[in-house]
Amino acid sequence: MLKIENLHAEIDGKTILKGLNLSVNAGEVHAIMGPNGAGKSTLGYVLGGRPGYEVTEGSITFDGQDLLELEPHQRAAAGVFLGFQYPVEIPGVSNVQFLREALNAQRGGRGEKPLSGGEFLKLAREEAKKLDMDAEMLKRPVNVGFSGGEKKRNEMVQMGVIDPKFAILDETDSGLDIDALRIVGDGINRIMRKPDKAVLLITHYQRLLDYVKPDFVHVLADGRITRSGGAELAHQLEREGYAEVAA
Amino acid sequence: MSDAVLDLPSTREEAWRWADLGGLAAAAALAPVAEPTHEFLDLPGARLLFVDGVLDEGRSRLCNVRLTTLEGDDHALGRRAAGTGWSLRLDAQGVADPVQIVHVATGGENHLASEIVLADDAVAEVVETFVGAGWQNCFTRTRLGKGARLMRSVRLLQPAGFVSLREAAEIGEAASLVAVFLGAGGQGSRIDAQLVMAGEGAFVEYGGTLLTSAEQKQECAVRVNHAQPNGASRQVWRAVASDRSQVSLAAAVDVARHAQKTDGEQSLRGLLLHRTATVNLKPELEIFADDVKCAHGATVGELDNRALFYMQSRGIPKARAQAILTRAFVADALERIGDETVRAAFEADADAWLDAALQ
Amino acid sequence: MATKNAEALAAVSKKYEWGFATEIEQDFAPKGLSEDTVRYISAKKGEPEWMLDWRLKAYRKWLTMASPDWAKLNVPPIDYQDAYYYAEPKQKKTIASLDELDPEIRRTYEKLGIPIAEQEVLAGVEGARKVAVDAVFDSVSVATTFREELKAAGVIFLSISEAIREYPELVKKWLGKVVPQHDNYFATLNSAVFSDGTFVYIPEGVRCPMELSTYFRINAENTGQFERTLIVADKGAYVSYLEGCTAPMRDENQLHAAVVELVALDDAEIKYSTVQNWYPGDENGVGGIYNFVTKRALCQGKNSKVSWTQVETGSAVTWKYPSCVLAGDGSVGEFYSVAVTNNRQQADTGTKMIHLGKNTRSTIVSKGISAGRSDNTYRGLVRVAPTAEGVRNFTQCDSLLLGDQCGAHTVPYIEVRNPSAQIEHEATTSKISEDQLFYAMSRGLDQEAAVALIVNGFAREVLQQLPMEFAVEAQKLLGISLEGSVG
Repeated sequence: MLKIENLHAEIDGKTILKGLNLSVNAGEVHAIMGPNGAGKSTLGYVLGGRPGYEVTEGSITFDGQDLLELEPHQRAAAGVFLGFQYPVEIPGVSNVQFLREALNAQRGGRGEKPLSGGEFLKLAREEAKKLDMDAEMLKRPVNVGFSGGEKKRNEMVQMGVIDPKFAILDETDSGLDIDALRIVGDGINRIMRKPDKAVLLITHYQRLLDYVKPDFVHVLADGRITRSGGAELAHQLEREGYAEVAA
Repeated sequence: MSDAVLDLPSTREEAWRWADLGGLAAAAALAPVAEPTHEFLDLPGARLLFVDGVLDEGRSRLCNVRLTTLEGDDHALGRRAAGTGWSLRLDAQGVADPVQIVHVATGGENHLASEIVLADDAVAEVVETFVGAGWQNCFTRTRLGKGARLMRSVRLLQPAGFVSLREAAEIGEAASLVAVFLGAGGQGSRIDAQLVMAGEGAFVEYGGTLLTSAEQKQECAVRVNHAQPNGASRQVWRAVASDRSQVSLAAAVDVARHAQKTDGEQSLRGLLLHRTATVNLKPELEIFADDVKCAHGATVGELDNRALFYMQSRGIPKARAQAILTRAFVADALERIGDETVRAAFEADADAWLDAALQ
Repeated sequence: MATKNAEALAAVSKKYEWGFATEIEQDFAPKGLSEDTVRYISAKKGEPEWMLDWRLKAYRKWLTMASPDWAKLNVPPIDYQDAYYYAEPKQKKTIASLDELDPEIRRTYEKLGIPIAEQEVLAGVEGARKVAVDAVFDSVSVATTFREELKAAGVIFLSISEAIREYPELVKKWLGKVVPQHDNYFATLNSAVFSDGTFVYIPEGVRCPMELSTYFRINAENTGQFERTLIVADKGAYVSYLEGCTAPMRDENQLHAAVVELVALDDAEIKYSTVQNWYPGDENGVGGIYNFVTKRALCQGKNSKVSWTQVETGSAVTWKYPSCVLAGDGSVGEFYSVAVTNNRQQADTGTKMIHLGKNTRSTIVSKGISAGRSDNTYRGLVRVAPTAEGVRNFTQCDSLLLGDQCGAHTVPYIEVRNPSAQIEHEATTSKISEDQLFYAMSRGLDQEAAVALIVNGFAREVLQQLPMEFAVEAQKLLGISLEGSVG
């Protein structure tokens, strides 16, 4: 589904990714772990197409398409979902408006009919309920005044409504208490654990992996993947620390 | 400079620093145009059509509005408007259907005076629309008695030319004035207001949205004078400037010596769509009483890049994301319009402007 | 509380603690202002021809200018012919050490609590911060200490008269480049008749080994005081400069129209701190200083930085806007100000941040405290030129009112011509609440201590920008300036 080859990327002239290779197939969950500053979030932003993150070398193909050629919203329409570590607050724009615009823009991009207001609201309410989010929060401006945990849950509601093919979830576990972690973990499994979908979890800690069991774990250090293995690698990292394992 | 602006103050005066006197003079000299069509909103009540400052009686229904001779004020713009104008006077407890006024200009300059005088506890709503060409100058004197309430909505939709509005209002005890302005045409403008909180516990909300493109210059210069205690005023203005245009927002709050417990708030925000555009802000406070709550916030910048990317990453194309964010930006200043029909019309005008500007 | 305040105000009014005059002989220029006065000053100082020409050019320009329109200030017309433009203490021109200083002057300093003597001691103490003092007594520098140590570092720290003689090329290159002669009425007047002042040059890569300090005193009766300060920090240089002043009590108003020019080249940093405590006049406003100052910095170099910090408690009328022209890419301007007005004082102060270079940043923090029947105005401008990409500005303007007979005004101008700018301005107006006062007093503070505590808290963000020596003095000043203002 996703193939990253020899990826080099920089921000403000500073090279962060230095030859990263990664292949993700349908039906797989991959976890990227690594110390702070290793380039984990940069990888997520490069996949999402954030302006300022410049790819200087290498390629990314998604379902056979050159992902780097696409604008951020075209990537979304192609089925890529980026869960933000710090979801952005947008005063004056309600969650409902935001999400409906997003969903219908994506559907339009795929040649599907837009959802009516009623259809959409039903879908959004169901998704909010599954993630234990008060439906009233759908009416509030996007992420404004939300706690850290509420913002992350809101990201999952968006993922549920949009129903992407491939999700990159950047530190989705940060800011969550244990109950919220379970709810979010269940959400990821329910929405994304399907034979035709795949997930890339970016995380610093192994705790989320207790709920979302990865098929592969990669260690990202200094802009490269230095080690790959199965779920047991995450436990080893937790036990022995990045310095030992990544070397 | 043309005769049209000879007796106006120069831009060397503080209060006229950002005024577009050249644009005003040019507007007055514009060649005549055919009378543009304009529809009234679907509301009950009086409908007045002024063509070049003169009432077209055949196409108007006056209801409780009268034509009468009115004075100007000592302000350079207000002075000129003295003469025959429209007057809305309501007795105590009076309630009027909405008054709609359409000002059509076919070139040159015209000047019109008006007054809105509400006795105690009277309630009124006035909606004004400016279309056409040339320089239209209106002076409005507003007097609100104890507990009276007035909702004013004014939109400037001239494709070119200039609209100047001089407003003088006295808000009585516990009375309430809410005024919302929308500049969504191609004209230059100056909204020049002096509001006096003349009674205790008076309330004013005064603001709007000025949208400019091309070489256009629009501005507001509003002073709210808290002369009595316990008043509250809120000035919420939004500016969006594209191309080589300029919006200037000057909003002042004066609090007199004994006007204790005044609550004055100003929120001035500007958005620049292009690097050739200009936004000027001047949120001014003049405070002579010690037990007051006065605060202002002012920001200028471009759209939040993080929010743009966030929306794009959820599949919304960039242009659409910009439109949504810009609309949210101006919405604050329009949401105070109480009448849904009026609000929808104003929002549609703002949307049409944004769609054109963001293409 | 308003009523209580008023009662207290009627009952108490703080007398100026430091009002006295020193009796030493003075050498006066003839009273009044003419070309002859300008020639007299120039000749008296032994200036070269080019300097006299420069002064005369300014004088002729000044004759054509109109006195400024006093925005918020109520200033009686000034009779420029009824003042002396030059006064020099009669004594030995230069001295080797402070011991040779006129004992009368030394006593004056001691009464003022200016720790000149202490500072020498301080300099000898290991690890203690050194402060170089160039004391300007009225118009002529009478003592310059620490010159040797500064010389070793390559720092030039002289009176401007000396600099004109010794470093004419440096002075010629920069004098009037930041504040042009014709900039404003008072800057032009200063250009014509400036008496003395300070010149500082920090060479490339040098971090000035001590804080430089000049104490200004206005002493002679009816003597206009026209300081001229020029500080140039060459590439990568750093200097912190302290300016502080107090003046003796007088019945006639005294005019002070200083010009301060700062230049920062690539990567240079200048920190300029002021504590201004000139005589504000009595409780009826009689006899205070008129303080009309033009202070401006040119951040010409890339990544240069200028930081203005001021604590303004004195003068009957203050009119000053220390500004930064941010021309170099990545340059930074800062303005931190506390202005206290009491009795009949009027202060109109603020800053201008002119963003011309890319990625330039500015911060403005202004705290105005009004008491008595005073008026306190913040007037500021933030301008972003079309070429200035990526500009950031944050402005915070807070006003505190003590009593119901004073005024607080905020007049900020924001002019933005580049969409990549991020400009934020916030302002609040508040009073000291009875709850705050009661809380502090219930913990054992008397009322004045409680007020001083709360006011110092209000001004904290600014005070902490000051060098330590000044911060202590400034805190004391805030308390003293406001005594009797809350009942």
